[in-house]
Amino acid sequence: MDLSYFIFLSSGLFLGWSLGANDAANVFGTAVGTKMLRFKTAATIASVCIILGAVFGGAGTSRTLVELGAVNELAGAFMVALSAALAVYWMVNNGTPVSTTQAIVGSIVGWNFYSNHTTDSTILAKIVSTWIICPVLSGCIAVGLYLLIRRYIKHTKTHIIRQDLYTRIGLIAACAFGAYALGANNIANVMGVFVDAAPFHGINIGNINFSGTQILFFIGGLAISCGVFTYSQKVIKTIGNDVMSMSPIIAWIVVISQSLVLFLFASQELKTFLDMHNLPSLPLVPVSSSQAVIGAVIGIGIAKGGRGIRWSLLGKVALGWITTPIISALFCFIFLFVLENVFNLVVYH
Amino acid sequence: MFQLKISLFAQTKALENKIDLFHDKIIDVAMTFKKAIAVFLQEKRSETYRKLCKQIKNIEHDADGLRRDIENKLYSHNLIPDLRADVLELVENLDSILNRFDEVAYKFYIEQPEFPEEYHARMKELCEQVSDCAENMAIASRAFFRDISTVRDYSQKVYFIESESDLTSGKMKEAIFDSDMPLANKLQLSGIISEVADIADIAEDCIDELLIFTIKRDI
Repeated sequence: MDLSYFIFLSSGLFLGWSLGANDAANVFGTAVGTKMLRFKTAATIASVCIILGAVFGGAGTSRTLVELGAVNELAGAFMVALSAALAVYWMVNNGTPVSTTQAIVGSIVGWNFYSNHTTDSTILAKIVSTWIICPVLSGCIAVGLYLLIRRYIKHTKTHIIRQDLYTRIGLIAACAFGAYALGANNIANVMGVFVDAAPFHGINIGNINFSGTQILFFIGGLAISCGVFTYSQKVIKTIGNDVMSMSPIIAWIVVISQSLVLFLFASQELKTFLDMHNLPSLPLVPVSSSQAVIGAVIGIGIAKGGRGIRWSLLGKVALGWITTPIISALFCFIFLFVLENVFNLVVYH
Repeated sequence: MFQLKISLFAQTKALENKIDLFHDKIIDVAMTFKKAIAVFLQEKRSETYRKLCKQIKNIEHDADGLRRDIENKLYSHNLIPDLRADVLELVENLDSILNRFDEVAYKFYIEQPEFPEEYHARMKELCEQVSDCAENMAIASRAFFRDISTVRDYSQKVYFIESESDLTSGKMKEAIFDSDMPLANKLQLSGIISEVADIADIAEDCIDELLIFTIKRDI
């Protein structure tokens, strides 16, 4: 295996690291912020589950990204991932809520333009539609759970201390499930563009056969875990005040709604089951965990009577839907040109 | 893991029981106080009053033990980290009501104030009001733990009864200072009436804080 592969893979690993640092906070930030779980415990649970999710559940969403644009040269894949990472960094610095998914989609479209590959408008429409469906669905799940739990508490008059015990157990479970769903759903953002150019061969460990793509996803999962351990604590501290303003039960509802949405958009088994029974199913597409969180928070806000909702945030999210992919595509187009003409690297064939 | 889970449930159950018992103590002390002052007005520092004072002291002592247990369990077992500070504050506030009942009953025992017959009915009414105030405070606090949506109802009761007790104590003081008794007696009675009325004021302050805790926990 060529060492240059890992040099090119570095942009994807960097994207994975930043995903771990930022998005993992959505999964276990509340549990750590409310001191229900120690950071090290939460980070360990999350890291293991992210890797499991990436290796065993990441195939479906990656396939969708490959269908959008099969980046067929390693240097091209490197630049697609790097452009997405730079676009995310630039948008975050400007204070716009940004999604790694939207950035990577923009980058892939940028590569398609540059390499004269046709962008499949059906796939693109399918992906773009999830940017709206994801927060809306997350909001609906959150409202349903909120009404159900409120009714349950009122009906059973559960002691507040017992409620906290249940919430604590629930947050640990949500941390594990959310991390699995994050790994399964978002590994495509990190490693999806490298799938076609991956040089790994399948290996057998015991009775389990791991494909080359799964090995690639394992490396991506490790990069996300690195982000979780090295930087997510800082992110949790920064957003700590927002988290603390929620009651622990609301926080649990938000985490579980977001995790369910990520899982629904990543589970191949569920999609197959629904398709088999002629039921409507969701496309397997990487979605933004931050936007799922925003959807859940707004949903609960509406269920509570619309108090305290920052509607301006919705405007910012909508702005991100348009600007992130455009900026990312532009970055990718320009950098591919530089890579090809200045460094004489082949970025497509 | 299974054992850990069982132990966590058992600890939680024990803490719930202790908190419930603590609330019972406030209701006990309020009822006993009401009875004790009625006895004092009839019999002064009689044996019955002494026993009732002792009973109040014992309740207060038991409640102190429960408070320490609750605080210890909250911290040593790392239960409810997010809610812990609010529960501790609430328990401390309730304890201050208990202490005040004990102090006032003891003050009656030591100072033996002379309440002329015509003020007995009003004094009993004032004691009734402050006891009701404390009881409703305890019920509101219990509701905070079990049925948060009803906290506001009991809080309104506390606010209403507290303002009634202010009126009663004000009228009593006015009547006392309009009377012919010696100034020293007037000042002693006025002081002791203020001390009794203070119990309702403390309950009102506790309710103010409880309402904030409720907003924080409302889902």
